Amino acid sequence: MTMALGKKLGIRSMVYVSGEPIPFFWPMRSFIHHNPLHGLEDLPFAEAVAIGTRLFHGRGFLPRRDYKRYLAENRVATGELEAGIEEFVAKQASVPGIDLERWLMILLTSLDHTVALKGKFADAIDIHAALTDTKPDTGRPVDESALADTLRAELLGDRPVYEAVDILFGTEIQTDLDELVIKTCLDFFDEGQSVWHMPGREQGLFNAWSDLAAHHDRLLLDGLPVGRVLADRTEPEEVIAAVMDSLGIPRSEWVACFTREIAQLHGWAGFIRWRGNAKRYHWTRRFPADLVDFLAIRLTLAQALLNTRRHRKLPVTRMALEDAISTHTRETWLRYELHSGSILPAWLRPVEEALLRGREPLVDKVFEDYSLALRKQEADTQAERLRELAAACGDEDVLDRLPPDQLDDLLRILQQFEREEGMIWLQAMEKHAMGHLLENVNLTLPEERDKRPFAQALFCIDTRSERIRRHLESAGDYETFGIAGFFGVPISFMELGKGSEMHLCPVLLKPKNLVLEIATAPAGDVAALSVLEKLLHELKESVLTPYVTVEAIGMLFGFDMIGKTIMPQGYARWRQRLYREKPGTHLLLDKLDREQANSIVRAVQRAVVGKAVELEIGLKPEVITDDMVRELREAALGNTTSAPTLLEACSLTDEEERDFIQRLRNVYRIDAAFARLQMEQVGRIGFSLEEQTNFVAQALSSIGLKSGMSRFVLLVGHGSTSENNPYESALDCGACGGNHGLTNAKALAHMANRPQVRNRLRYHGIIIPEDTWFIPAMHDTVSDRLRLYELERIPSSHVIYLDRLRSGLVAASRLCAQERLPELQLKPAPVDPGSANRDAHRNAVDWSQVRPEWGLSGNAYFIIGRRNLTRDFPLKGRAFLHSYDYRADARRRLLESILTGPLVVGQWINMEHYFSTVDNERFGSGSKVYHNVAGRFGVMTGNLSDLRTGLPSQTVLKQGQPWHQPIRLVTVIEAPFEHAWRSIEEVATIKHLVRNGWIRLMIIDPEKKVAKIYADDDWISLPLPLDATTPQSESIAS
Amino acid sequence: MTEILILFLAGLFLPLFPLSMGFNWLLGRMQSPVLRALALLLWPQAGLLLISQLEFAVPDWFLLLALASSGFYAFRALALRDVGEWSGFLATSSWAFLWIPIHAGTAIMNVQLYALGFSVPLVLLAFLGAGLERRFGAACTGLYGGLAESIPRFSTILVLVVLAIIATPLFPAFFIMLVTITQAMSVMPAIAAGIAVVWLLWSWAGALLLQGLVTGTPDDSRPADLHTGAILGYALILVLLLVAGIAGMGVLS
Repeated sequence: MTMALGKKLGIRSMVYVSGEPIPFFWPMRSFIHHNPLHGLEDLPFAEAVAIGTRLFHGRGFLPRRDYKRYLAENRVATGELEAGIEEFVAKQASVPGIDLERWLMILLTSLDHTVALKGKFADAIDIHAALTDTKPDTGRPVDESALADTLRAELLGDRPVYEAVDILFGTEIQTDLDELVIKTCLDFFDEGQSVWHMPGREQGLFNAWSDLAAHHDRLLLDGLPVGRVLADRTEPEEVIAAVMDSLGIPRSEWVACFTREIAQLHGWAGFIRWRGNAKRYHWTRRFPADLVDFLAIRLTLAQALLNTRRHRKLPVTRMALEDAISTHTRETWLRYELHSGSILPAWLRPVEEALLRGREPLVDKVFEDYSLALRKQEADTQAERLRELAAACGDEDVLDRLPPDQLDDLLRILQQFEREEGMIWLQAMEKHAMGHLLENVNLTLPEERDKRPFAQALFCIDTRSERIRRHLESAGDYETFGIAGFFGVPISFMELGKGSEMHLCPVLLKPKNLVLEIATAPAGDVAALSVLEKLLHELKESVLTPYVTVEAIGMLFGFDMIGKTIMPQGYARWRQRLYREKPGTHLLLDKLDREQANSIVRAVQRAVVGKAVELEIGLKPEVITDDMVRELREAALGNTTSAPTLLEACSLTDEEERDFIQRLRNVYRIDAAFARLQMEQVGRIGFSLEEQTNFVAQALSSIGLKSGMSRFVLLVGHGSTSENNPYESALDCGACGGNHGLTNAKALAHMANRPQVRNRLRYHGIIIPEDTWFIPAMHDTVSDRLRLYELERIPSSHVIYLDRLRSGLVAASRLCAQERLPELQLKPAPVDPGSANRDAHRNAVDWSQVRPEWGLSGNAYFIIGRRNLTRDFPLKGRAFLHSYDYRADARRRLLESILTGPLVVGQWINMEHYFSTVDNERFGSGSKVYHNVAGRFGVMTGNLSDLRTGLPSQTVLKQGQPWHQPIRLVTVIEAPFEHAWRSIEEVATIKHLVRNGWIRLMIIDPEKKVAKIYADDDWISLPLPLDATTPQSESIAS
Repeated sequence: MTEILILFLAGLFLPLFPLSMGFNWLLGRMQSPVLRALALLLWPQAGLLLISQLEFAVPDWFLLLALASSGFYAFRALALRDVGEWSGFLATSSWAFLWIPIHAGTAIMNVQLYALGFSVPLVLLAFLGAGLERRFGAACTGLYGGLAESIPRFSTILVLVVLAIIATPLFPAFFIMLVTITQAMSVMPAIAAGIAVVWLLWSWAGALLLQGLVTGTPDDSRPADLHTGAILGYALILVLLLVAGIAGMGVLS
């Protein structure tokens, strides 16, 4: 049985579309911040949050009590809060006797809990009776057809059948299903963590799994009838279609059902989506998998679980569920109440007993009694909540006077308001943040300098650079700039000793150029400690050896544990001495010309041929001559037909010689086609002179640094050092694809120091003085240490200034640590720079430290403009700062490139933090304490869970309260309004993000001295500077 | 004949299956926490009084029946949601073990103390269960989680009481279980292993109970937490239990 190609493609495209709302999940070795609702970014923010929260069962806004705390801390613009309420009330009908604006304001600011409850049975008449203490009308029957409709909406639609069965019968099919699917994923996607691997992975996910499942179901799947579901179907598309048909789900609903199904384990699904898309990823090429495979496995297992013997009396198809709802509405409702956890606790046992006995009269009786009790309870609770609100408003008597219809209006308004209040709070917090910034920006031009600064430093736009830049500027005559941390040079990097390429640039870019790291010293022996560590790892990971290992050398681990715990710094220093230092290396950055590339390929081919002769013919190396190798190579490439020197050296027949030459082609790949491929690969190495010139020109122009360069220009990449932290990469440079930024800094420094590049830069209007030297440097964001690299290359004339430079960097580091450390303490208290510096260094090596630094938490602004705009305003590590001078960008190209790359990455980071904060369990990854590394690419909570995406609670929460203030990224562009807006309009991605409200845009026009804020397709203009006598929030809100 | 009747009645009060059903049925009918507390305190004591009248040794096969009864109720407790039922099942499961020291010839006075060591935490749980019913309408797991957040003082006491019931170290039940296992070893080592398994089941059942009540996210209701007097009362009894447990270590030596 084979499905027609058209049908298969149809199912594939449905699965593709259904996976769109699931965000990619990158392996955590290079953590990429992403928006959990990235797939919904084409929708307005509020709408996307509503859909996303339903799909991922999460929360899109903070609970009211958290917003109230921000209000108490004066971080919410009350004017905006009032404006939001006013706007809401304007759309509502009035309720006599009630000042809605005042009531809603008090509701927001005085009460912690929800006031308008979503009742199932109680209506306004019941609530009115409860409010007026009159006897409720118990004679009205329950509308069973409405009840059936509610059940249909809850249980059918896109909800998987097994989930509906779980809700009605208290089965735990979904738990079992998730467990089985996760186990399968762990087995298949393992990237070297396990010692025993799943067989047949080369066939792809579905094929490998179905081979195993069909033959070993008793052993692996607890006897599930998987074989019966699979039947003789071999294609995942066939299986999907067969299961959906057998469940009785109409084809028009498949996409919605697939989305819901895939979203059940959105971490794994996001990883599979990313992996399926990353065609060059090593593991994708070895073991292919996609969402179709994943869905087919999930549906097969779900169907098998539904078909097990213990579920045979349950309704396990859509039709059967529909039938149960239509014909046994009351019983189904009671079941729904019981197993969905919403039953009144006092009714648990009577309902349970009635359902167990199953006699219809008894079920009817319990239903009637229960519905009356529920109605009364709902009415009483609702009345109590309303009374509480009225009392808070000082209008206790108003409710008694409201007739049921007006009470109904009031409840409807309150319900709608409480649904929408998150946006009102959010906007009010954002307006406060905007006002706070506008109060402090400086629009005056900096004074002309009579001499150039002692040093200039280019830092990443990362929020953590803001602090260190500020302190470096305060430490001496330093000028700093902000630029995306890959310095505009996208690199595919192959590190010394690594066999795979690493992309050092934002994930939006695909680097064309390959940079190799090669050792400048001969390779030494592998350090004994490294060998020992490898051995220990293998002993630990194997099946039986751990038992013996613990007995034999468990004590060693104990010493290690004590050292790491009691004195982490000293112990880390001691251990470091045991490792052999990484040899000196050099980056291959310059493009090879054709002759050089040819020469490399020839050299490789010669080496391979030599080795082949040694292995296959058995000749000793001293007998293998250059001529012999050359002749064999030529013969293998088809340029000649024989290799006489080989025949002279050994007694091969002609046929043996031909065979050997053929083997050189087939086995050792010495042929023209492969040589061309090698040439292509070699051609990727390095950057041409023109490319280098363009990258340097682009980097310097984008930050407005075209002249007046200092003797030292530091290119400061950043990275983070921590121990025992799977999220270490999340603390590295996002612009470098979640890696350290040093390689990019080295690359740009190399380019900018080349005389040929400097000569060419003159044509771009960039004059680099002869004595200017670009030095790569590294900012460790955990310890705040600033370290200079490649000092051996600097001109001897500059050496004398190095001490001064180092002193400035050390001062900046210590001051930065002093500012930052109190925030990491449970009870912030001032610390002196010395102890702050010490503690910060300790954090980098302390394996028990779950929060080595706050990372990008707290991010709120993305400021594109001159440094002078915020130089005197401490932004406390809350702003991405991208240097930009609109005067040097008449054609807006530079601004557009900033918007296209860095701003998009900033928005992903911001949204990752936003959602991880508002719902850390669903959109974040929960507490790090319970995390376990899965397959070397992700983490799970406990030993089996969905892959945890998002940020851990230790990154965004402090003692259970949000530490990161979740607001959308306030993007500030310092440029004339027309200039900035036209750039936005040119960049489609950003235009949509702005118009859909995913980022808040503010343009500061320095020429007209006005700030323009984009809100609801309109602009609010504010003359600058803001009137200091008016509270900033009020002036914006008005 | 009288002896057999006494043994039969003792099987009812030191519950052995199927006579154990009587106790659980009765406990299920008792609405008042005071009555429940009295039943939990006095029921095994009545059984022990009857045993003291016995003039012949308890037959060996009683130990097997006791272990089977205990295991059955411990296993069933894993699936229970109602706190009242849970405490009845745990009571049945733990009291059944009293047959082992009786069989080993332990002085009846000591066995009465053992029974008290099992019963007192269950009495506390009966009052806590009544507290839950007052606050939420029923004392059931899985209906309203997050008590640790909504009523933290109540939750602390609840956790300690459940730990006492499932025989966590330093509470008397822990030492009683150690003695019981030691005594069983001398009769039938397999029974000792069985007791250990039942002990594990208690821990599992306790963890499930706490998981269904204490952890999770609280709902929108705002129940009142324990007042200071009640906390002091519970704390005092728990401290007494701990002291009794530590003092009881002498029994082992």
